Amino acid sequence: MKKITDDILYRVEKPARYVGGEINSVKKNKNEVDIRFAFCFPDVYEVGMSHLGMKILYHVLNKREDTYCERAFAPWPDMEKLMRENEIQLYTLETKDSLSEFDFVAFTLQYEMSYTNILNMLNMAGIEVRASKRSEEDPIILCGGPCAYNPEPLHDIADIFSLGEGEEHLNDVLDLYKKYQGKSKSEFLRAAAKIEGTYVPSLYDVVYNEDGTIKEFKPKFEDVPKKVKKRIITDFNEVDYPDKIIVPYNEIVHDRIMLETFRGCTRGCRFCQAGMVYRPVREKKTEKLIQIADEIIKNTGYEELSLTSLSICDYSDIQNLVFSLVDKYKDKNIGVSLPSLRIDSFSVDLIKEIQKVRKTGLTFAPEAGSQRMRDVINKGVTEQNLMDSAGSAFKAGWSTIKLYFMIGLPYETIDDVKEIAYLSRKVIDEYYKIPKPERKSGLKVTASTSIFVPKPFTPFQWAPMDKMPSVREKIGELRKVMDRKITYNWHETPVSYLEAVFARGDRRVCDVLVRAFEKGAKLDGWSEYFSYDTWMEAMKECNVDGDFYAYRERSYEETLPWDFIDIGINKEFLMSENENAKVAAVTPDCRLGCKNCGANVSFKEGKCFEGALFNEI
Amino acid sequence: MLALKKGSALKVRYLMKFKKGSDIKFVAHLDIMRAIQRTFKRAQLPVDYSNGFNPHMKLSIAQPLSVGMYSIGEYLDIDFKEEVNNEDIINKFNSSSTENLELLQVVPIKEPYDKDGKKIPQSMAAVDNASYQIRIKYEDTNSLEAELLNLLKDSEWNIIKKTKNGEKETNIKPLIKEFKFEIQDKFLCIEALVSCGSRENLSADLLSKYIKTHTHNIDEIAFTEIKRIEIYGIRGNKLLPLCEYFKIFA
Repeated sequence: MKKITDDILYRVEKPARYVGGEINSVKKNKNEVDIRFAFCFPDVYEVGMSHLGMKILYHVLNKREDTYCERAFAPWPDMEKLMRENEIQLYTLETKDSLSEFDFVAFTLQYEMSYTNILNMLNMAGIEVRASKRSEEDPIILCGGPCAYNPEPLHDIADIFSLGEGEEHLNDVLDLYKKYQGKSKSEFLRAAAKIEGTYVPSLYDVVYNEDGTIKEFKPKFEDVPKKVKKRIITDFNEVDYPDKIIVPYNEIVHDRIMLETFRGCTRGCRFCQAGMVYRPVREKKTEKLIQIADEIIKNTGYEELSLTSLSICDYSDIQNLVFSLVDKYKDKNIGVSLPSLRIDSFSVDLIKEIQKVRKTGLTFAPEAGSQRMRDVINKGVTEQNLMDSAGSAFKAGWSTIKLYFMIGLPYETIDDVKEIAYLSRKVIDEYYKIPKPERKSGLKVTASTSIFVPKPFTPFQWAPMDKMPSVREKIGELRKVMDRKITYNWHETPVSYLEAVFARGDRRVCDVLVRAFEKGAKLDGWSEYFSYDTWMEAMKECNVDGDFYAYRERSYEETLPWDFIDIGINKEFLMSENENAKVAAVTPDCRLGCKNCGANVSFKEGKCFEGALFNEI
Repeated sequence: MLALKKGSALKVRYLMKFKKGSDIKFVAHLDIMRAIQRTFKRAQLPVDYSNGFNPHMKLSIAQPLSVGMYSIGEYLDIDFKEEVNNEDIINKFNSSSTENLELLQVVPIKEPYDKDGKKIPQSMAAVDNASYQIRIKYEDTNSLEAELLNLLKDSEWNIIKKTKNGEKETNIKPLIKEFKFEIQDKFLCIEALVSCGSRENLSADLLSKYIKTHTHNIDEIAFTEIKRIEIYGIRGNKLLPLCEYFKIFA
């Protein structure tokens, strides 16, 4: 097998992406391990290396003495071209061996538009993209991550899906693999299907109705489970967390320490898949977090530490955690940052503490312009909340505020959309209410809109996506009423349509994916490479109607492609939330009383608020 | 009377020689700087920071190295809040790094002024020459020796040099202080000492480009390996490696 050489590297952009050898990357003797595992991120190095899940699983897998976990990323087209010309297969950064030499080739599914990269990466390693065409000798292709909650569009690409949190599940799968060494791949897959959290698509059959909806989804064999339950970590405080994260040489997207404070979210926003699939809420304790932070800082030399979670200010001991970290590291020139902020004055007070010196812009996400729409999506934020927060931020010396909204939400009217402009205008008014000497000059308010795509396992999983012409019209109307003092950023792109097709697609869109790849689709997440026409042709050739998946309203009776997965939340809860959305009825935060979504009873030990301070939830 | 600023008495400036390994030759200058800073942090050495809104390490590199080159003779200036034993600095740094980024030598510069009362310059101001090993690959080296010997007879080596003000033709021959070559199988191996620094500078890249455009049967797509061996300052008429140059201030 030919290996990468400097004769190629010096001719590509950013060659440091392709060489590895970073501090804390793991070196093992490949001949002394039983299992070789290639962890692949279907995007470029700078994006993949910023991903927390990869850091966690790289650490967890390499802790096993019997396993060597290595990394691979999608090469940029200049590199791909030279690799193909020189017959160099896609390789891992650690040993530079081709993916084809591994026992497992795993991909994390972070966004639908990275799927073609998976196919391209397999192809570049000389691995057949379709599972049904692969042989005994080929690696086992494993997929996990948030998009695996609807695995069907990749049903003939992956051999195995890992559903839910991977730390324990992957260990179970690898233990089984070792036991089955010497046996056939199909025997292993059949046994793996019995491990909780595993979906082996080749062991299930799907029958369709005449109208194209699913008639029946059933296992091919009696010993294969009908339902696949997601995995969760029950003792989140004690779960393995990497203390030696890799420090890349070149700058990556999130070039800092990420400290995961908790999983899950109690807000119940109806558009948000993460808010549903990561339930129940489980926290790490402050002492534990400080101890982890200390280790990672010593081992990386990073100058910034960012607290991560969904809705970070909901961490039950947030004030103590933030103040302790800021105090501990202020003399060591290590900054603490928070990624996303809820719109309440508490968040602003907290961030005032952190950003005593540098005042970068603040971002708020009201998500929708009108109160009615915010109630529809259950955002639980009022106009007053936003005005108080903005006013408080302006008084504290900020003058740059970004507002983030979605367009095309279910049950949205043109009037709701225009409210985005009025709300943004009111933020500006809030600035001028403050006497001139007390506010910082240089006001800059930016409003951004993105296009809403309905996702599985949310109350909007039955809703049609807003048609692209309608979205375009709404953006046009909004631009007319938007105040000129506000910078309005929008993107109206057919990428959202394709994202919608794949987000809620079934097995038949897998053919479209393979066809589009064969026609040259790749790096669809990068606007310079996305080709709408390629995808439209692929759909036509496969006789697949994208509108069926994107624009169709589903009935509650319909069997959805992902219904066989048990995320621990009742379908009835999602239905009642969709009904509440229709009448703009708000469902309060779980912290104010259990809403019986099911997460607390579905998992034997998965208590809601595991590890949280009880007076604070 | 000496007026010492509070705390400043303990501060020490160091000149450090380091290696940029072949495996990280494609890491760019600013990224190497950041990697060095993070290594000092991991090593928990008492580096001094600037004051101000955005404190940064008081660290500078004597002479940036281009992407694609590696080196066993790089230098940096850094301020520590307090003195640390030379061996300890090297041990702590290297055990917090990989074999591709290692400290080789440490020279403390304890006094800010020399015996004539002049401020001791930053190392970048002392840079005058640098030596390189260059390996160029050919498809056929049969006529190469004759070609080179002829080339060396030319009094002028003119090549387009990119400067801040655009492109201009420059004679690089006077900037080459020593030039030795050897042909090993398919490779032309050059050892060259050239002008370097802010007064006069010849990049090893430009030199290899001149050779490549004035010889035949070159392997067009092969990578040209360039390794920096040492950076020199000149005192009197003597060429001194930077760490020797600064040792008299230690």
